[in-house]
Amino acid sequence: MTDGPTRIPGQRAAVIWGALATILVVVSTIGVFLIAPEDADQGIIQRIFYFHVAIAIASLVAFAVACVAGILYLRSRDERWDDVGEASIRIGLLFSVLVVITGSIWAKASWGTWWVWSDPRLVTYLIVVLIYAAYFVLRSSAEDDRKMRYSAIYAIAGFASVPLSFYSVRVAESFVHPVVFTSGGAAMPGTMLGWFVVSQAAMIALFVALLEVDLLGRRSERALRRLAMRLESA
Amino acid sequence: MSGGAQYVVAAYAVIWFLVLAYVVMLGARTARVGRQVEAITRMLDRRAAEESGAEPEKVEERP
Amino acid sequence: MRGRQLMALVRKDLRLELRTRETIVAMVLFAIVMLAILQFGFGTRDDDLTRFVGGLMWVTLAFTAVLGVGRSYVAEREQRVLDGLLVSPVPRTVMLGAKAIAIFLYMTVVEIVVIPLVGIFFVKGPYWDAIGWIAIAAVLANICIALSGTLFSGLALFTRARDLILPVLFLPALVPVVIAGAGATHAVAGGPHDMSEWRGYCLFLLAYAILFALVSVATYDAVFDD
Repeated sequence: MTDGPTRIPGQRAAVIWGALATILVVVSTIGVFLIAPEDADQGIIQRIFYFHVAIAIASLVAFAVACVAGILYLRSRDERWDDVGEASIRIGLLFSVLVVITGSIWAKASWGTWWVWSDPRLVTYLIVVLIYAAYFVLRSSAEDDRKMRYSAIYAIAGFASVPLSFYSVRVAESFVHPVVFTSGGAAMPGTMLGWFVVSQAAMIALFVALLEVDLLGRRSERALRRLAMRLESA
Repeated sequence: MSGGAQYVVAAYAVIWFLVLAYVVMLGARTARVGRQVEAITRMLDRRAAEESGAEPEKVEERP
Repeated sequence: MRGRQLMALVRKDLRLELRTRETIVAMVLFAIVMLAILQFGFGTRDDDLTRFVGGLMWVTLAFTAVLGVGRSYVAEREQRVLDGLLVSPVPRTVMLGAKAIAIFLYMTVVEIVVIPLVGIFFVKGPYWDAIGWIAIAAVLANICIALSGTLFSGLALFTRARDLILPVLFLPALVPVVIAGAGATHAVAGGPHDMSEWRGYCLFLLAYAILFALVSVATYDAVFDD
């Protein structure tokens, strides 16, 4: 576990993913705003869709990573998995907040009101934000080994709550309200779908890049702490 | 209907504003690590100077 | 063997509770106060709140559940029973099951009071015909509350400010249960007598219970791993 003299492990990954994320973000921005066709029904507003949904899915990827990291932490009790879990949930929470905000803006643009309880995506992500915000409350009120253990368990239980929130909102929705957005999925024309895939890839690359940079920082902090401890004992 | 461009811009701006804020937060942590590394380096320099100077006596190393 | 341990633990909880009655009485009182507060909180003196019956019932039950779940490990913690329990050869899953059964029973007692009371207080429609369907949904929801409640109260037990942590952890996880419980109640008693909707929500509650049972069994060993 000794670090190399010139390079911290993960440095190359951070650089590669950062570069990939930058390229994909630029390409997807150009594609979404300049090349993709205007939606027949919703006009320019529909362009929010590309990043709104892409960020939503990327946040789910982040929470899934945190869940797996939690399982691996409980198996190995290796604090690096705790790092991965916390960093993933922090980015996932950031992304979910963005989903709620952009969704709210979309609601304002298409229905003239900032909040619509009948839109399952907005409601679900509000619940998701609440679930994962509690993760940090839990972390801040326990120490060391216990903090990591509880965080890992909560990351697993939280990820189990996510599909439940999704489905619980949609049970209501399928009976009470018609489906609000149909511009996603199979109804999308090919070019739109293509640009959506590109922006999806961009958002996932952005998540991985942020995660790698975050982990890099944590590794440096840890290496520094070890160094300080060694100097003190010397 | 091509109105509503301001909403699209707002949504896009919010995303990059918050992501940038996050990166700044990461940057702040890196800066803190950098400051501590510098402090340690200075301390080692001081120690080296004292050792080569008068006596190889143990110094008070942390503030 | 495990069955005997389970029954012994449940009996211990119930005997403690029957001797003091502090949790059950507090929960029932709290639920009744909640119902009154909700009525006054609407700001109208409207007698017929049939449309909101699901919400009234399940908001009350959710907050009462937080109260009850918060109490569930207090005896163990305060009287250092937990230390003994943790060094004893009782499997963690048995502890989980015993706690879940205790919470389930407490919630059932509360519901025996709350569900008829909601009908008397708020509903002018045909509520009593639907009470069997509501009871079935409530039993399913109780299983969900008991399972997730046991897991989260275990997590909150040794944190600082655990009385504050538990609602913050538990209530978001309870949102789907409230949605489904209120939805099922609304479907049969709130106006649109819609059995397929009720069935959908009950199936959802079942799925929630199964998922949380799996998560709890998989992680409960790690909760008390000191």
